[in-house]
Amino acid sequence: MASIEFRKITKRFGDVEVIPDMDLDIADGEFVALLGPSGCGKSTSLLLLAGIYLPSTGDLLFDGHVVNDVEAKDRNVGIVFQSYALYPHMTVRDNIMFPLRFKKTPREEAIRRVNEAAALVQVGDLLDRRPGQLSGGQQQRVALARALVKQPQLLLLDEPLSNLDATLRLSMRTEIKSLQDELGVTTILVTHDQIEATTMADRIICMRAGRIEQAGTPDDLYARPSSLFVASFIGSPPINLVEGKAVNGTVDVSGIGFPATGATGAVTIGLRPEHLVVADTGLPGRIAQIEPMGREVLYVVSTDIGHIRILEQGSTAGRGAGEAVHVGFDEAHSLVFDTTTERLIPDSHVKPPAP
Amino acid sequence: MVAATNGTARITATGDDWGRLAARARRTRRVKATSIYAFLIAVSIPIVLPYFWLVTIAFSARTGVAETQVLWRAVAVLVPAVIAFWAAAMLARGQRQRWAFVALVALATIIAFVALVGPSLHLENFIFLVEPDFASVLRSKVGTVTGAVQFPNVWHAFGNSILLAGTQTVIVVTVASLAAYYLSRFDFPGRSSMLRSLLVLHAFPVLTLIVPLFLMLYYIGLLDSLIGVILVLVAFELPFAIFIMKGFFDAVPWDIEMSALTDGASRRQAFLKVVLPQVTNGMLAISVFTFIRGWEEYIFVFTFLIRNTNWTMSLYMFYVREDVMGVDYGVVSAVGVFYLVPSLLLYMAAQRYLLQMSVGGVKG
Ligand SMILES: Nc1ncnc2c1ncn2[C@@H]1O[C@H](COP(=O)(O)OP(=O)(O)OP(=O)(O)O)[C@@H](O)[C@H]1O
Ligand SMILES: [Mg+2]
Repeated sequence: MASIEFRKITKRFGDVEVIPDMDLDIADGEFVALLGPSGCGKSTSLLLLAGIYLPSTGDLLFDGHVVNDVEAKDRNVGIVFQSYALYPHMTVRDNIMFPLRFKKTPREEAIRRVNEAAALVQVGDLLDRRPGQLSGGQQQRVALARALVKQPQLLLLDEPLSNLDATLRLSMRTEIKSLQDELGVTTILVTHDQIEATTMADRIICMRAGRIEQAGTPDDLYARPSSLFVASFIGSPPINLVEGKAVNGTVDVSGIGFPATGATGAVTIGLRPEHLVVADTGLPGRIAQIEPMGREVLYVVSTDIGHIRILEQGSTAGRGAGEAVHVGFDEAHSLVFDTTTERLIPDSHVKPPAP
Repeated sequence: MVAATNGTARITATGDDWGRLAARARRTRRVKATSIYAFLIAVSIPIVLPYFWLVTIAFSARTGVAETQVLWRAVAVLVPAVIAFWAAAMLARGQRQRWAFVALVALATIIAFVALVGPSLHLENFIFLVEPDFASVLRSKVGTVTGAVQFPNVWHAFGNSILLAGTQTVIVVTVASLAAYYLSRFDFPGRSSMLRSLLVLHAFPVLTLIVPLFLMLYYIGLLDSLIGVILVLVAFELPFAIFIMKGFFDAVPWDIEMSALTDGASRRQAFLKVVLPQVTNGMLAISVFTFIRGWEEYIFVFTFLIRNTNWTMSLYMFYVREDVMGVDYGVVSAVGVFYLVPSLLLYMAAQRYLLQMSVGGVKG
């Protein structure tokens, strides 16, 4: 097991700077999720850790030791590639056994460990097949088994669940999570899926264009996003954002005044759909659309400041499209961002407009 | 709305209509297939016939006798047989009937062949396999002139050809694989101009270099040695082989190589155990083509090899033609058949893989 430190790491491919400057600490045994839009450098970060790419500048430390010059084969890193990267000419058994061949594991022990790993990810009956004869989800699980079988000190998972069906994804999520708890192996999970990140990881690192936008617990990122980017990236359905101008304790949005504290200048108000309610007072509007989502209902309310999404528990309670309603919310849950710097203004909140 | 109703009405036609449409489709298919087969037969006969005659002559011609009757009798068996095979394949309904038809035609062909051509067949033309000085033997049958050319043992020439083609193949496949891998995976100054030059090199007619190469081999001291010819052939074959192999390597995803490295393999192990197995089809294709190219090589061996102990099969064939063609074209044909068999066997053994081969995308 290992703790990890990125110390002022940059990575360039030719003229393209993919990672401008990265500082990051990951504790021994921690489960971290890397979250970010496509092309933001998540896979590149993993490959830096695996030793496939060398940092252009800066140091990478495992357990306090600089490992820049340690070859990939000596790092003992288990990795599940985005594309699975199974060896097409080998059976599933040989694929999983491949890492053990280089560790000079005795034959019987190797076979035993392969069988264990295969059973763990439920591919025990596929051992004699070739990767080409497996479905996408099965390939993904074989790749996971191959990464686990060598008992790595660091486990890197590049979107390991993207190809599974909903049920299997749920069970694999818990499986990986409990496995990680049990083995205590430091794990980095790359994902696009913020629910996956919030449910599995101790800590989420939200990346944008090679920079760490915010690192913190899932609750942190949800309740106190440090920037507009994080606020809009985390949460589903996405947060409502409206731009306005704060003067004399009131944020003016398209002529509607929201009483505000601690804000001046151009600001953006962020309101999460699940913190809004359909109420008798507050921001007036009209229901434009109703989407029942099982135990919750998503209302899209057309107001003077634009369409606002509201997520409410329970049923529609007889409401229908076109009905005049008010949007209400609790001041404590409102977020206010500086529009120019895109940063959160701490301790700044807004109230619903007075009637 | 009205139009839509009409359309539906026409599509949900009565049962009779369906049957009529199906019958028409079947008829069209059959006519099409028949005309394609007819065309294939028409063009394949002129291609197949020379080889067929070569074999027939090799097994039937007699020293000093110019007799072509047997050739026409052989054609009289071959052409109907080919047509009958196609017809059997066409007319048969179902796999079992097809086998029965084909077996029947094959039986009829064999009987006809034995009856019409059989009596003329013999193995005497293959005398060169056991008698190195066969030219003198042949001449003594028709006159007293001794052979003008001193022939080596044919097996010696055969061995030389195998050695030449085999060594050349081993070198080309090894070097091309390594070079193509490097070109595919690594970026270095001059990479793209190198790739371009690979193709340009292949575009020049090789014959233009024959004089300078002769001089070069002479000064190095490799004139009249198999090694010299092998080196020249390797140099000419390599560019294209590298180009083809690069296409195959480009098609191998980088991920599996990275994966092998993180799994504890060294670069060399990753190349040998993970990357190379993905390109075996390419290596096989190059091996076959290079081997055949070396096997049929004529110009360079003719120019650079002098001693008859260095002769390859192509030189042997050439001198047999020079020496005894007028006396016995049966022996010339027999040598031809002997020369043909190894490449034929090689193609037959490899064709399953060659057909699977798909040249990977070629990127700059
Ligand atoms: N070998 C390379 N050469 C040049 N550019 C590269 C290379 N690898 C990645 N990049 C660039 O670096 C950026 C980050 O790539 P990376 O694969 O890390 O993204 P990612 O966050 O994993 O995206 P995704 O979620 O789509 O997998 C991309 O803009 C990509 O084009
Ligand atoms: Mg990626």
